[in-house]
Amino acid sequence: MKPTLYHWEPNANSGKPMLTMVEKGVDFDSHYLDLLNFDQHKPEYLAINPQGTIPAMTHGDKVLTESSAMMEYIDEAFDGPALMPADPVERWRARWWMKFIDQWLAPSFSMIGWSVFIGPSVRQRDSKELDAAIERIPLPERRVAWRKAISGNFGAEEMAESQRRVAEGIRILEETLASRPWLAGETYSLADINAFNTTYALPLSQPALSNDEKTPHIMEWLRTIYERPAARKTWAMGRTDMVKRVKLLERGAN
Amino acid sequence: MALTLYHGEPNGPSLTVLATLFEKGAEAELRRIDLAAGARHDLPFAHDTEVAMNIEGEGPVLVADGVPMTDAFFVALYLEEAFPANPLRPAGAFGHWRLLTWCRWINERMSPAAAYLGTRAYLAPKFAAAAPDVSKIASADLAGRWKAVAANDFTEDKIADSHAKIAQAVSKIEDALDGRQWLLGDFSIADIDTYAWLASMELLSPAAFQDAPRTRAWLARVKARPSVQRALALATSGEPAQSWAPGPEINRWG
Repeated sequence: MKPTLYHWEPNANSGKPMLTMVEKGVDFDSHYLDLLNFDQHKPEYLAINPQGTIPAMTHGDKVLTESSAMMEYIDEAFDGPALMPADPVERWRARWWMKFIDQWLAPSFSMIGWSVFIGPSVRQRDSKELDAAIERIPLPERRVAWRKAISGNFGAEEMAESQRRVAEGIRILEETLASRPWLAGETYSLADINAFNTTYALPLSQPALSNDEKTPHIMEWLRTIYERPAARKTWAMGRTDMVKRVKLLERGAN
Repeated sequence: MALTLYHGEPNGPSLTVLATLFEKGAEAELRRIDLAAGARHDLPFAHDTEVAMNIEGEGPVLVADGVPMTDAFFVALYLEEAFPANPLRPAGAFGHWRLLTWCRWINERMSPAAAYLGTRAYLAPKFAAAAPDVSKIASADLAGRWKAVAANDFTEDKIADSHAKIAQAVSKIEDALDGRQWLLGDFSIADIDTYAWLASMELLSPAAFQDAPRTRAWLARVKARPSVQRALALATSGEPAQSWAPGPEINRWG
């Protein structure tokens, strides 16, 4: 039973199940959706995932959403190397880190990303068209989030808080990776796959905070992950300049 | 393995872990701490990253062979995996995914709302006479939530949004209980965790429960479980459902 993965770029939430599938060696059908063209809110996709969120996955008669939970499903449902530790304490730690990234660090990165990079280009489009696109979003909380993202209207306090969290998150990641090789402990796990998707462009997006001098352990961890054949293969599926930033992780790139 | 559980009054996250522990029949030394007085920040491991930065807010800590674990739902999953007898989640990869996504929604959307309404009703009045000492709280955003409660700083927007989230949760529960006794089929961690955060909302957000006969009957069923009764009997205050400490933040993206 070949699964289908509906995804955008190998970045943030879409990249999490993509890299997990490739690490497991799962043969899957890839269905690319252009997030910035609102492909995820079009009727043909809503017929598959009525929530209109990306990524989603179909496996037989099952439809799976929520990227971090989906990663655990992929790890359990398919053969291939285990991507969750065997030890229950390390499994707890992998989940703790996925939640910390998903709900504390990534939202701050995305606020900065939308404000600085993505929002301005999306705002060039026809505003009526944008309004109509937002109205098609099924989940009320996603409508609120998309309005915020597109308007770029975050407020100075909110932006400062996001920047504070990014700096604090980088400090915590560096400290953690100085104390153990991987986020959950002794083994590469879904937590690293998750965090890599949020942090792979750090040396470019936060050069003053994350570089070889200040965060050598983060840099080594990022490069080690990017050296994995699965990461190469996954990021080669990217179509935009945004994800090509990953090339900065080539050893000797700078 | 040796387990020690530092827990607060049996409500919210402390109730989740206590009831799960009792359902599993696992042995742990129970140590009560006053979460609403900030006692978690005096524990010897308070500055460990996974304790200090736990985004759940003031919750219990389970120490397993020296490792302090936080986040009540993930601690409950740890207990499920470390003590496989008396299973508390649906079987198989898809069953596990259902539990992960159910509790993710509850803990990301409903728990912050419940904590907002709960701290406003029951904790803020206690701080009117003397403000709490937040100097030991390592996480700046958690300290901010403490200060907001102490200053009785609750906005109309967020109060309205919190009532809406409670109503959404009740509606989700009504749907889930269509033809079923428990949320995911058999009794599971989803019932425990959802009950733990929702139980006191019947009093604080009564409109949400008016047309929800299945939810009201289900609340009574969960409350009648021997594990929940045993946890509630640990209360040192008359009404544990009225015991709240600062919880998770309301999603910054809306």
